[in-house]
Amino acid sequence: STSSMLSKDKDKSAASKDSTPEGAAKSQEDGAGAPKQQLLDIIGSMKVEVSYRKKLQQLKGSENKKQAMNKLEGPDSEGSVPQGITEDAQRGKSLNPELVKAASAVASSLPHNKKQTESELLAQLRKHEETTDKQKKGETVNIRNVISEMTVKRQSPAQWGARISSRISLQLDEDGQRIRPERSSAKSMDSRSLKVGKRLNIFTKASTEPEHALKTVSSPTIWDLEFAKELAAVTAQPPRNGFEEMIQWTKEGILWEFPIDNEVGMEDDAEFHEHIFLEKHLEGFPKQGPIRHFMELVICGLSKNPYLSVKQKVEHIEWFQKYFEEKKELLQEI
Amino acid sequence: MAAAALCWALRAARQVLPSSCPRQARSYYVDWRMLRDVKRRKMAYEHADERLRINAIRKNSILPKELQEVADKEIAALPRDSCPVRIRNRCVLTSRPRGVKRRWRLSRIVFRHFADHAQMSGVQRAMW
Repeated sequence: STSSMLSKDKDKSAASKDSTPEGAAKSQEDGAGAPKQQLLDIIGSMKVEVSYRKKLQQLKGSENKKQAMNKLEGPDSEGSVPQGITEDAQRGKSLNPELVKAASAVASSLPHNKKQTESELLAQLRKHEETTDKQKKGETVNIRNVISEMTVKRQSPAQWGARISSRISLQLDEDGQRIRPERSSAKSMDSRSLKVGKRLNIFTKASTEPEHALKTVSSPTIWDLEFAKELAAVTAQPPRNGFEEMIQWTKEGILWEFPIDNEVGMEDDAEFHEHIFLEKHLEGFPKQGPIRHFMELVICGLSKNPYLSVKQKVEHIEWFQKYFEEKKELLQEI
Repeated sequence: MAAAALCWALRAARQVLPSSCPRQARSYYVDWRMLRDVKRRKMAYEHADERLRINAIRKNSILPKELQEVADKEIAALPRDSCPVRIRNRCVLTSRPRGVKRRWRLSRIVFRHFADHAQMSGVQRAMW
């Protein structure tokens, strides 16, 4: 509320400033204070909050009392325009006497100590006058110093802006480097060429990869493996939520990969004819006799079996071949 | 070069090593009978193919009987625990030999316990 009140006061003083020149012009024309009176009536009717007034009084109480006493004698006498001017001139500040009159009217509208409020309003008016005088004289040294200081550290605000924006957006390149876009943007903002700086290698395949691949095969030492295991153990954080847990399980093989692939782990490179036409494996057996008959039945059964791979079927037949070769002596006795 | 080798080793290690978070890992079977059952299962798995082939020779009307008798002797010579008949479907949690439901591999008591605590997905008390 204090800030709003401050602005109100300034507005009042500004309004009084703006109004009083108009009023002054009109008074010069008419010679009668009709609009001025209206203004004064308006100001008199305006009401102000009490709390702010109390604070101001506490701040400026004792200082302005003496000044107020001297000031009041001036505006009270309406005809004493030159007196007011001379009194102001004594302090080196020029205050419009009509402003002073407006201040007195405002003070009269307020419930508290009128002299103190008048003095405070006049003090604010004086401050305004001082600032305008300074600007007129051209005392802009401080601002110039500030600007000159800013020119020395030109890049920092740009960098800060880039860093803040990068923090908010958290963009990671495909190469996983976060700092680089800051540098590149800062450089482009400094109006240098875009080709200056390191290459990001986003679109062009890095030509150094095959060279690295050739070199790696030779030496994975035991210490390297140990170090790698330690790193993996340290960096493997426990899962933060159910999704990460499921990801871990999938990596370990506990959880299947979705959508479920029925042929996971089944590498059936063989064509159907290799499964069904297995007679070519029967070359080691005699062409006549019960064994052949038996083996043909075995082959018939294997050709109808979808669960075994070709390799397993071939092993099956080979086992029988071995078995019957071992039993050849027995068979010849029969 | 060394860095690339490290990267490869890291990838391999990551796939092999489990996570660092402590997980409940049961290192003992419930009782010795369960252990013996486990051993029998392993042996049965190892000798399954041989048993199948020898039985194919035995249960045959084409091959001569002498061959089949030899096959009988061979299969009897195999270790006793290699036959699948000796496997008992015990409860996985309590090793109870009787009252085990095949679908869940649990005994009736454990099944009831979990079902009542709503830890069996899709299992509800029957009411009709």
